[in-house]
Amino acid sequence: MHWIAVQATPKQTGALAAGEVALADEDSALAWWALRFTPVVARVEAALVLEVSGSERLFGGRAALLQQLFASGPPAVVLEHAQGDTALLALGRLWAQAPDAPIHALPLHSLAAARTHLPTLQRLGCSTWGQLRKLPRGGLARRFGAELVDALDRAYGTRPELFPWLTLPEVFDTPLELSAAVENASALLFGARRLLAQLLVWLRARQRGVLALELLWELDARRSNALHVDAYHQGGAQGRMELRTAEATQDMQHLQRLLAEQLAQVTLPAPVLYLRMRTLQTQGLGGESLSLLPEDQRKGDSLHQMLERLGARLGPEQILCVQPQARHAPQDMQTWQAWKPQVGKRVQNLAALQPVHAALLPTWLLALPQQLLVKQHCPQYHGPLTLLAGPQRLETGWLEGEVTLRDYFVARSAHAGLVWIYRERLPTALQQTSHPENALRWFLHGLFA
Amino acid sequence: MPALARTSADFLDAIHADVWHAHALANAPLPVLATGEVALDAQLPGGGWPVGALTEILQPPGVHSEWRLLLPALARSGLGLVLLVGAPHLPFGPALAAQGLALQRMLWVTAQSVASRLWACEQALRCAEVNAVLAWLPQARSEQLRRLQMAASEYSKLLFVMRPEAAQTEASPAVLRLHVQPQSAQQTGVSTAQGVDGLDIQLLKRRGPPLEQPVQMQARCAPLNVLLAAQHALDRSTSHA
Repeated sequence: MHWIAVQATPKQTGALAAGEVALADEDSALAWWALRFTPVVARVEAALVLEVSGSERLFGGRAALLQQLFASGPPAVVLEHAQGDTALLALGRLWAQAPDAPIHALPLHSLAAARTHLPTLQRLGCSTWGQLRKLPRGGLARRFGAELVDALDRAYGTRPELFPWLTLPEVFDTPLELSAAVENASALLFGARRLLAQLLVWLRARQRGVLALELLWELDARRSNALHVDAYHQGGAQGRMELRTAEATQDMQHLQRLLAEQLAQVTLPAPVLYLRMRTLQTQGLGGESLSLLPEDQRKGDSLHQMLERLGARLGPEQILCVQPQARHAPQDMQTWQAWKPQVGKRVQNLAALQPVHAALLPTWLLALPQQLLVKQHCPQYHGPLTLLAGPQRLETGWLEGEVTLRDYFVARSAHAGLVWIYRERLPTALQQTSHPENALRWFLHGLFA
Repeated sequence: MPALARTSADFLDAIHADVWHAHALANAPLPVLATGEVALDAQLPGGGWPVGALTEILQPPGVHSEWRLLLPALARSGLGLVLLVGAPHLPFGPALAAQGLALQRMLWVTAQSVASRLWACEQALRCAEVNAVLAWLPQARSEQLRRLQMAASEYSKLLFVMRPEAAQTEASPAVLRLHVQPQSAQQTGVSTAQGVDGLDIQLLKRRGPPLEQPVQMQARCAPLNVLLAAQHALDRSTSHA
């Protein structure tokens, strides 16, 4: 058994290095960080004790484990530590600030169970663990209670040590009380950054990446306007924002940028006092393999990060990707739909969806066909059009109930180059009865760019 | 002055890659991507579209020839994304795919305002998985374009900005500036009637001597050309008969 006792040194305000973000809840962050190295972690007063003999081999020996332990400490926390064969010994050395002291020389104030009896023990002339250990057990138990004798036994390793062991929560859910009421949604980002720093510790401990999380805030009910009062009576005393990423990530910079974009669009009806962050969906994170070749390592952000940032500012409906459809009418051959991470992976067998004559289609399509002016039976678009090829007859849509009867032509405009136009045909029965001019409506539908 | 007398091409190379004789095309310090059109390649420094620089394409209103110019190069530009920012019409996927631009590679940002289009362009240029950005920026100012030019050169991306003809008089940070226009009927006369559509490409700015004569190229892609030729032959045979 080998125990390490760890304690954060008292905080000095303003001691944060540039670029570091304070944690939202330092104590639990410390525990989560410790749980990465061993499952046997307990909290004793302000300190943590870790039993590492079980995981030493995994990390390559005790020295390597200690090195990793302190190299990857949680941000913005200064740690002091001591080691020993029992948890109480490690704690005693930590509290006595004597990391190498032999067990019998440790002062009694560093034994938690002896602290209440310290004055009496002092008058007995007893000031170290060794002196206390030499006193007769029976008398000691009668005079000071069984706890002291038990604690001493545990410290010397003759009795097993049991603590309420700490575990990692399944879901990250951390509240944060803001130091001052925040009126502006963008300023919530400062609080959210502390929560994100905390989230990173949790994600690293669980070796997971976040896919979705939510940020909740509680409005100050005392200072509010009419808008807020209305919302309050409808049960809306809280604000909520959801954040999703396409790929599980531990990149807090990316999440922070997404948060900033979304918070910029929020208006707060009243000041905010409390923030809370909760993960909705996480995913196990496999290690990333890096390429050996330098040319494979390209400069820049990853695709999904860029698209999520675009979506967060411009709205996801503005980022479109194309999906081909096996249909005949030109306007139905493709759909431009909002980009989703899965869509890119599902696209397959596109060649099968290609119409045979695709190479003859124009590269620009008008979203709505533009009706053309007709002068002397000749359609006009920036001047008269010369028909070059056609007609290509299209009859479709009879299943949908909207029959499309069109003759497509390739035409040349002196000004705009080659264009794709069609002449609308009416069903034969209608054509004979109606006025002949009705049958000759020309539309511009595409441009050969 | 013996030092000045030795202005051979080798000597200029020794100074800096960005220094070149005024009467010769620059030895492109930038990597290039061939345009797929021999006549145009011959007039471009390095022999193709500059990668990692801003190329500006000016067109008269209502005229769109950008795909004809860019598609052959985009089809060979790799596997990364081609991002369209603010296209004027619906890009017709099947036709673009048939000319070599895979559909999975296309993304379209439909933002309307100039500021958000510029922002989207810059974000896209910074992304590792984007190959080319095509932006329609009718109202962008010179300093805004310069920002894009810097981003393109830092991350070495293809960047094409489509602008109206009227922007010709404005200063531009573009490395290459083209004016594209279909050949009018008066210019070519009879040939147009026979079905030879041409594009006039005027090189307004390049790293090299100014070019008086516009470069001419076929305005239609090859399959369409075949169709029109066949139709033309058919028409003639019926009229003769």
